[in-house]
Amino acid sequence: MVARRRQSIPDQTVRSSELTPSNYEAPPTEKEEFSLAAPKLGLMLSILALFLVPFIYFLFVRYPTEIDLRLSILVCIAISLCGFVATVLLVPVAARYLLRRNLFGRDINKKGTPRGAAKVPEALGIVTGIVFLVVAILVQLAVSFLQYNLTADSDWLVEYNAALACICFMILLGFVDDVLDVPWSVKLVLPFFSALPLVMAYAGHTSIIIPKPLVPYVGLSVLDLGLIYKVYMIMLVIFCTNSINIHAGINGLEVGQTVVISSAILIFNLMQIGASTDLDYKQAHVFSIYIMLPLLTTSLGLLAFNWYPSSVFVGDTYTYFAGMAIAVVGILGHFSETLLLFFLPQVLNFLYSCPQLFGIVPCPRHRLPRFDPQTGLLIGTSDMNFVNLFLRLFGQCTEKTLCIRLVIFQVFSCLLCFQLRSILAGWYK
Amino acid sequence: MAVRRRTSIPNQTAAQPNPEPGGDPQPPNAAPPADEFSLAPPKLGLILSVLALFLIPFFYLLFVHYQIESDLRYYISIGVALSLVGFWVTVWLIPVAARYLLRRNMFGYDINKRGTPRGEVKVPETLGIVTAIVFLVVAIVLQLFTLTADSDWLVEYNAALACICFMTLLGFVDDVLDVPWRVKLVLPFFASLPLMMAYAGHTSIIIPKPLVPYVGLSVLDLGLIYKLYMIMLVIFCTNSINIHAGLNGLEVGQTVVISFAVLIHNLMQIGASSDIDYKQAHAFSIYMMLPLLTTSLGLLAFNWYPSSVFVGDTYTYFAGMSLAVVGILGHFSETLLLFFLPQVLNFLYSCPQLFGFVHCPRHRLPRFDPQTGLLTGTKDMNLVNLFLRLFGRCTEKSLCIRLLIFQALSCLMCFGLRYILAGWYK
Repeated sequence: MVARRRQSIPDQTVRSSELTPSNYEAPPTEKEEFSLAAPKLGLMLSILALFLVPFIYFLFVRYPTEIDLRLSILVCIAISLCGFVATVLLVPVAARYLLRRNLFGRDINKKGTPRGAAKVPEALGIVTGIVFLVVAILVQLAVSFLQYNLTADSDWLVEYNAALACICFMILLGFVDDVLDVPWSVKLVLPFFSALPLVMAYAGHTSIIIPKPLVPYVGLSVLDLGLIYKVYMIMLVIFCTNSINIHAGINGLEVGQTVVISSAILIFNLMQIGASTDLDYKQAHVFSIYIMLPLLTTSLGLLAFNWYPSSVFVGDTYTYFAGMAIAVVGILGHFSETLLLFFLPQVLNFLYSCPQLFGIVPCPRHRLPRFDPQTGLLIGTSDMNFVNLFLRLFGQCTEKTLCIRLVIFQVFSCLLCFQLRSILAGWYK
Repeated sequence: MAVRRRTSIPNQTAAQPNPEPGGDPQPPNAAPPADEFSLAPPKLGLILSVLALFLIPFFYLLFVHYQIESDLRYYISIGVALSLVGFWVTVWLIPVAARYLLRRNMFGYDINKRGTPRGEVKVPETLGIVTAIVFLVVAIVLQLFTLTADSDWLVEYNAALACICFMTLLGFVDDVLDVPWRVKLVLPFFASLPLMMAYAGHTSIIIPKPLVPYVGLSVLDLGLIYKLYMIMLVIFCTNSINIHAGLNGLEVGQTVVISFAVLIHNLMQIGASSDIDYKQAHAFSIYMMLPLLTTSLGLLAFNWYPSSVFVGDTYTYFAGMSLAVVGILGHFSETLLLFFLPQVLNFLYSCPQLFGFVHCPRHRLPRFDPQTGLLTGTKDMNLVNLFLRLFGRCTEKSLCIRLLIFQALSCLMCFGLRYILAGWYK
C-alpha cells in the first residue's frame, strides 16, 4: 500500500532541459539541495551476521551435505553479498534520479514535524529488483560454469528461466504501477499476468497429500488436482504480492517482513537439504536458496536506507517483487504449504482486513494510525489491520517500536511454524 | 534516441491535484480527468492495409506454396489469431496509457514541428511500454498453445521471455529516469545474460567456401567468442534502431519492415527444410515475431505521421532485443544482420560523430522550416540527413516513407543475395 501521499505538482526549481539543451544529459547538479542520509550499515551488518552464523553452521557443521553443494552455496553467498554492496551504492544514485522525476512522497506518519515536510524518494524497490535479477543470473552462470548442480542443468534451466521471467515481469508491472499510479482494481490482477510463465513451466506434480486424519473421509491418500493446482498457484502469487502490500505503512515494515520471511525460508531449505537423500528434492531446495539469498541481501541493502527513519520509500515495485520472488520459490521448490505458514501474520492481517477491503466496513484511503506530533507517538485507529491492532492492544508507541514489535511477531510466527512442522510431520504426512 | 525534447517543468495550466494536506480533491488512484485530453483517432485504415499486405503473402506461403505439416500450420494460425487480438488490445490500451503517462509528465514536444501549432502540443512519451506488455502477454499465452510442458524449446522460450522482459524494464527505467548515455549503452548487456545462460546451440560458424583454403578449416568452433558475438549483436540491434530514429513513425516503421522480412524468411526456411530441429527453430522465431509485428502495428496506428504518441527508448530497446533474440535462438543471426543493413550503414556513417571525431550535437535532426513545412538536411552524418541532402528537401512524412522503402528494398535485396550466394557460400 502506498501510504505516502504522492505529489503531482513538481518542485518549481527543477531545471528544465529546454533552457539548457547542452546540459541535457548532465546528472542533476542539485547535489547541494539533496543528499540521502547515511545508510544504517551497522544495523544491517549485524542482521546479516545474525543470519549468516546459524546459516553457515547448518551448512557446514550440523548437516553432512555434499562438498559441491556447500561450495555452490558459498559462491551464491559471495555473489549475493556483492549484490548487497551494489544496492547500497546504487540507492542514493537512483534516489536522486527518482526525485528529479518527481517520484516522491511525504511521510504521513511524521506529519506536523519537520521530517513530515521532506520529499522522500519513492519506488527505490526498482534498485533492489534490478540488482536482484543481475545477481540471480550471475549465480546461475557461476554455478553452471563450475558444474555444482546436483542434477543436469537442463532440468532446472526451464524452472530457473521461468522464475526469472515471472519476477522480472512483476518488477516491470510494479514499476509501471509506481510511475503511472494505476487503479487498484488493475493492481490486483497484475500478479496474475506475471505468474503465467510459471504456470506454463510448472512440470511438477499437481497432486496434494491428504492429511492422514482426513483420509477416511476423503477416501484417497493422494489427490490429483491438475488444473485446480495451477489455479492455486496463481492465487498464491496474487496473495503473496498483495498481502505484503497491505501489511505496510510503517517505516521499514515491508522490507523488514521480507527479510524475516526469506531468512526463515533459507533456514528451512537447509534443514530440508540436510534431512533428505532425494537428489531432485534437494535440488528444489538449492534452487530456492539461489533465489532467496539474493533477495535477502538486496533487501538488506534497501533496508539500510528504509529502516526508521526512512530516507527512501520502497514503492509497490518492492512489495510486488518480494511477494513474487517468495511465491515463486514456494511453488517451484514444492513447499508452498510451509510458505503459507511463514506468511501467518500476512494471512491474519488479510483476514482481519477483509471487512474493510470488501467495503462492508468503511475503508479510508490510508488505514494508518494517527500520529501525534507533540508526543511523537502513534495512536491506533479503529482500522482493521495489524498495525492498528497492535497499537490498540499494546498501547501507543513510537513508529520504530511498533515496527520492531511487528517484525518480532513475524519472527515468532516463523519459529512457531518450524515447531508446528516438526510436531505435525509424523501426524500430517 | 529520444529526440523529442523532454521537459521537466510541466505546463502550468494543466489541472493538477491540490497538494494541500487536507483536501486532496483527486485521490491518487483515480483515473485522470477524461475531458482534458483525448488522442487523435488511430490511423486504422493505413495500418489495416499494411496488415493485409503482409498477411496475404504470409498465408500464401504458409498454406499454398510450401508443404508444411498440418500441426505446424495450425499452431502458426493460432499465432496469427492471438497476435491479431494483441493488435486490438494495443490499439485500445494506448489512449488509456497515454492519459496516465501525460499525467505523470512523461511527454515531449515534437522538434520537427517547432514553429507550428503542433510543435506546442504535449505528446505523450514511452508508449512502447504498452506494446511491450501486450507482446509479453501474447507471447506467453501463445506458448500455452504451442508448447507442452516438457518441450525442449521451453528453456529457450523462457530465456527469450526473461531477456525481452528485462530489456523492457531497463528501457522503461531509462525513459522514466533519463539515465546517462553511457549507462544506456550497457543496459542491453545485462538484459542479454539469461540468453547466454540458455543458449545451448553450436558455437561454431561455417567458413565461406572460397575462404576455406586460407583458413584451413570448413567449420570453426568459436566457443566463448560466439557468446561474445551474441552479446555484441544484442547491443548492436538495440542501439542501432535507437539511432536510426527521430522522424514520426521511423522507429516502429523499420521494426515492422524487419519483422515482416524475418517472418517471410522463417516461412521460407520451414518450407525448404526437412530437419525437425531446424524447422522448430524458425517456428519459434515466428511465435515471437508475429506478436512483435501486430503490437508494433497497433502502436504505429498512433505513432505514424503525424505522431499522437512517441514510443520512447522502451520501444527501441524492446524491439531490438526481440529481433536479436530470435536471430540468435533461431540460428539465423547472419541473415538478421543482412536485414539490418540500413541500420548497419547508418551506424557506420554515424561513427565519426558517435566517437567524437566530428562534433556531435544533442539531436542530429534535420532543420525544419515552419514556412514551407519541409525538412532540410544538416551536415549530420546519419541516413536521415543523408537522404535529405541526396534527394532534396521534403516533408517529414515523405522522408520517413523513403527511408522505409529503403529498408524494404534492402530486405528484398538480401533475400536475393542469400539466394544467389547459398550455393556459393555454404
